[in-house]
Amino acid sequence: MPLIGQLALALALILAAYSIIANVIGARRSIPTLLASARHAIWAYCAMVTVAVAALLVSLLRSDFSLEYVASYTSSSLPTFYKITALWGGQQGSLLLWTWLLSLFTAVAAFQNRRRNPEIAPYALATLAVVAIFFLGMLNFVTRPFDMLAAVAPDGQDLNPLLQNYWMAIHPPSLYTGYVSASVPFAFATGALIAGRLDDSWIRSTRRWAIFSWFFLTLGNLFGARWAYEVLGWGGYWAWDPVENAAFMPWLVMTAYLHSVMIQERKDMLKVWNLALIGMAFGLTLFGTFITRSGVISSVHSFTQSGLGPYFLTFLIAVVALYAALLIWRLPKLRSPAEFESYLSREAAFLFNNLILVGIAFAVFWGTLFPVLSEAVRGVKITVGPPFFDKVNAPLALGLIFLMGFGPLIAWRRSSLDSLAKTFASPALFGLVTGVCAFVAGLREWYVLAALSLGAFVLGTIVVEFRRGVGARRHLVRESAPAALINLVAKNNRRYGGYIIHLGVVMAFIGIVASSFFRTEIKKSVHEGEFFQVGPYSLQYLGLETTETPHVETSRARIEVRRDGKPIAMMLPAKLFFKRNQQPATAVAIRSTPAADLYVVLAGMDDQTGLVTFQVFLTPLVFWLWAGGLVMAFGTVIAMWPNVRERAAIAASLRAAAETPVVDEPLRRRA
Amino acid sequence: MPGKAAMPKKLRFAIGAGLMVAAIAYLIVTAVRNTAEYYMTVGEVKAQQAALDGQMLRVAGRVVPGTIAWNPATLTLAFGIAQPPAQDAAASGLRPVAITTAAAVFHVICRGQPKPDMFAPGRDVIVEGRLDRDGTIEARQVLTSCPSKYAPKQPGAAQ
Repeated sequence: MPLIGQLALALALILAAYSIIANVIGARRSIPTLLASARHAIWAYCAMVTVAVAALLVSLLRSDFSLEYVASYTSSSLPTFYKITALWGGQQGSLLLWTWLLSLFTAVAAFQNRRRNPEIAPYALATLAVVAIFFLGMLNFVTRPFDMLAAVAPDGQDLNPLLQNYWMAIHPPSLYTGYVSASVPFAFATGALIAGRLDDSWIRSTRRWAIFSWFFLTLGNLFGARWAYEVLGWGGYWAWDPVENAAFMPWLVMTAYLHSVMIQERKDMLKVWNLALIGMAFGLTLFGTFITRSGVISSVHSFTQSGLGPYFLTFLIAVVALYAALLIWRLPKLRSPAEFESYLSREAAFLFNNLILVGIAFAVFWGTLFPVLSEAVRGVKITVGPPFFDKVNAPLALGLIFLMGFGPLIAWRRSSLDSLAKTFASPALFGLVTGVCAFVAGLREWYVLAALSLGAFVLGTIVVEFRRGVGARRHLVRESAPAALINLVAKNNRRYGGYIIHLGVVMAFIGIVASSFFRTEIKKSVHEGEFFQVGPYSLQYLGLETTETPHVETSRARIEVRRDGKPIAMMLPAKLFFKRNQQPATAVAIRSTPAADLYVVLAGMDDQTGLVTFQVFLTPLVFWLWAGGLVMAFGTVIAMWPNVRERAAIAASLRAAAETPVVDEPLRRRA
Repeated sequence: MPGKAAMPKKLRFAIGAGLMVAAIAYLIVTAVRNTAEYYMTVGEVKAQQAALDGQMLRVAGRVVPGTIAWNPATLTLAFGIAQPPAQDAAASGLRPVAITTAAAVFHVICRGQPKPDMFAPGRDVIVEGRLDRDGTIEARQVLTSCPSKYAPKQPGAAQ
């Protein structure tokens, strides 16, 4: 098995290299057979990486401890499920997974573009293959997944207990999918720059890839936060750790990109900006892998040097420099005839939304790199912790939420104050009333009041938009209200999917604000049978049970939760002890309701006195963060859904692009 | 290039965007000023102990075996930290390594927090807190390294 895997990786490297040469020469000399051969090489390289993944998977499942990777990250007693997830539990495996996803996406892109984008696609596919070569080079020469041990290990060292959790199955793959799929729009942008096809065909052709990437980045961040919440046992879900920031920054920039491309599609503006954004997004995905593996920035997740840092940094710098050079070289061809007319226009709102999103990304970048920068400049390492990120981002988030309500409803080009007043009167009133109600109810923190008002304002604008659309359809097509709603969304899925995403953002934002401001924490040491009070809940500790499997020993506390004297739940927080690596782990008990989460940690056990200490968090509205995240995902699926009319439009624009050398896309009005 | 008449419009937007950028820069600068903490190793803190008296610090060091006192009833964790031996720090990083020679340099007390799961003798930790005159760090937080997925080779680490 290891031999097959090793061989497959070597072949993949050769095939990927060949595809670059064939694509570039094929495109330069217009040789269709060579381009077809390049395509076949890409599919073959994808197949080879798939074989390597399968080989590693089989070795993991068979517990082949002659393999260093298998011995380092699994053990014979590890459940099968985690033997599979161990595929991305270690460095070599996670790089292999990355490479595999990249090969899959490249193969799909090659298939999609076998007749489309004849000018851009070969260069785009070559760009993707260059990225693949870097990763395949690492896997073949630097950090090899199929290295054998000198002697077969009697048993493996087991997967880190923190990773023995079902989120492990979905968080890393989601994030990787998001990271890696961002390289497709980036590759097409590069292809467009090389080929000089600087109209928006690269954007249109990869729009769904960009949303796909954003979808998985969103889920990846959400799952990561949820994982931290359930496993780390500190009651929070986000600590602004460098590794978290590394996943958050590409998401921010992709969000900016998804908005600003709409301006290019509609107004033929911001061409350079969009090319820069997608370059940034891709660079940040590499940067993310770099900082999680280099040890340059100390993180709770990894303190160590893995030796890959210099390779990643070199590649990152090379990619950024080359891309910037391409962009500068093409600047003269990227001038836009159109320009901003008025601050009171949708394009202006989108511009500011972009500035804020990139501003947040920059602040996060700055805060993450601050220790390195301060050491380089002043010779002392200075860190900025979570308070820095909260302080900077809190006001920016308010601005963003405001624009989220304002931008989508305001007219393109320019808007009169009259029409503004008409459009925004009721949402603004709704926001104001919400704020006043919250104030009367006793809330005094200005930030929370502002957040609630703005959240309500955005909610109002979304309702207004849906009502207007449904009303128009009922009037014109004479449909019933539910039918009108479904058709409205189905026929304009990009737009209304977007509104649903915005709704999710508002929900998540309110959840974040409430949980940050109003979390209460109680620590209590109790004997068996004792009661203690947490907010409206009365908790009774009923005793400790210990169970044991060959793999793990569990001490589980039983707590009965009562409210108004009535028992409402039994909570079972636990301490686990993983035998193989002699490592304790915490299993938190969470009782989640839309109003508040009750979160119980078994913090300490004193064997002599029988005293057990609990740490309990009561966090209001945190439920809405997760719910909002799912609504965002749902809205994204709607926005991604293939739309017959849009497909026809893309085909038409591509035909037009093929006929005229440089096209000025006629503005098409969404129906 | 757009005509001359269009320039003021462009300028107006440049000013708006510039103000936005300036506002973000201002936020970043003030936030850095208010939240910066020194990040130092035990050895560095030792070298300038007098100057750091009462400062908020993040100190990276290694838990000295045999100095750990954990009271689960009051959630009080006390231990000593020392500078990891130089060559060893890079090579083995977060894996528990028996330190026999290094004596505890600073005494750390962390109250009211559960003992982190990854906390163990010989582990590398980051302690966030204030340094007292007598060399005790009143820790607000003790961060343990999560033995990373990307840890380098760990020969014989698991017993």
